[in-house]
Amino acid sequence: MKNIKYNIYVLLLAFVSLITACKDEEFQIPTPSDKLQNDLIKRTLGPSIVGGTIEFAYAAAIIPEKGKLVSMAVEASIAGATGTYLDNKSYTTASNGADVGMAYGDPSVTSGKNTEVVFNKDASALTLRYFYKIPEEARGKTVTFTFSAKASNGETITYKAGPYEIRKMDMALDLVATDATTCYISIADMKVYDATFAAANPDKIDLIYLYRAPTNYLHSLVAPTADAAYLPSFTMPAALKNKTKIVKAFTVRDQQLARTQYAVFVDDIDLSTKDFTDAPDFAINLKAEAGVWVQTANGKYNAYVYVNSVVPATKKMTVSLKRLTIK
Amino acid sequence: MKRILFSQLILLLFVVVSCKKDYPMDDDGLLITNRSDCYVSSFQLLGSDFQSVTTKAPAVDTTAQTVNVEVLFGTDLKNLYPQFTLVADAVLDPKIIGKVDFSDLSKPKEWTVVSGNRKVRKTYKVILTVKP
Repeated sequence: MKNIKYNIYVLLLAFVSLITACKDEEFQIPTPSDKLQNDLIKRTLGPSIVGGTIEFAYAAAIIPEKGKLVSMAVEASIAGATGTYLDNKSYTTASNGADVGMAYGDPSVTSGKNTEVVFNKDASALTLRYFYKIPEEARGKTVTFTFSAKASNGETITYKAGPYEIRKMDMALDLVATDATTCYISIADMKVYDATFAAANPDKIDLIYLYRAPTNYLHSLVAPTADAAYLPSFTMPAALKNKTKIVKAFTVRDQQLARTQYAVFVDDIDLSTKDFTDAPDFAINLKAEAGVWVQTANGKYNAYVYVNSVVPATKKMTVSLKRLTIK
Repeated sequence: MKRILFSQLILLLFVVVSCKKDYPMDDDGLLITNRSDCYVSSFQLLGSDFQSVTTKAPAVDTTAQTVNVEVLFGTDLKNLYPQFTLVADAVLDPKIIGKVDFSDLSKPKEWTVVSGNRKVRKTYKVILTVKP
């Protein structure tokens, strides 16, 4: 009898647990805060490089009964370079996917580390974009940002972002090399030169772009010291002697260099740790989207040169590069 | 009676566990099997960009124990990654742990294929030629 009672009790308990567990909780509409609120997203991906831009979207809102937005401001720990601004427009997306901006104030005013937009239209909720042009002073350092918004009822709110590490590397985009004319590439200057400049500045020339019709050669990047077999029908300007180390790569489609969909980024650490032991001084038959890791003859620079495009008809190669000073 | 049956069950369990066959393994933790087959079934050669550098499919001769590979003009012969495909359970000696220097074309590189039972060993020469 005692056992039966006990069993009934256990069953009852289990049944109650089951009912409770299955109770469907109804959705509760959250009660909005009546305070000034803000939020932030960083829109830029990848390593932050001097000369480049870090983009944020900063949003602030207050319920209309409490007031309206008066201004938004950003303070960077290191003043941005020329070109730093807080967009005075708030954007919506049109049906075709295009951004449609509407100005809520005059263009931003930057004073030292501070950038501000004061609104001249009533707004309860706005998202402004902030573009921080990375200055030379920030190289190798970290930068932080303090975003703030003010409301007409006197409330202020801030949002701290960072720290973000600014890389030591440099980047140059879309250098066009043309066979037989501007075919001398300088990693030190991150530029392409002609034979006259190359002859006058032999120390600066690290790579030579050549195009030759045989299908086993086509578009090639070779060092001035490369074997004659890799410099067919080419007259080398006197005194060019840099034995640049070159390592071919194929799947390193750096997003900042290629500006394609691949989420691959060459960072400082990739450049500083790249092994150039036994590397050759030539890279024959390069294709678009391929690249070469390069170490200059004096060991001062390690670089990654990405091939954006090659055009056999005009004998051109467009390259973009990232370069790190090693010593 | 119950106790006797339980004891017998435990004993039986011990017998089963103790009779479990241990498969022999080599130093790399790979099973040593009964297979005596010993050959290279295919071969590939990759450059520093991990793309194939061969002009055509490498010719594997299991009788002469050679692999003839023609590589593209301009191939960096000092930094190549050979890839062997072997018969089931066989292993390669020495192991390939990184890039290999093929630049001395007069001295073909050699690898030994060891059968699954680790009793048959056949040494293959990898002979490179560069397409002019």
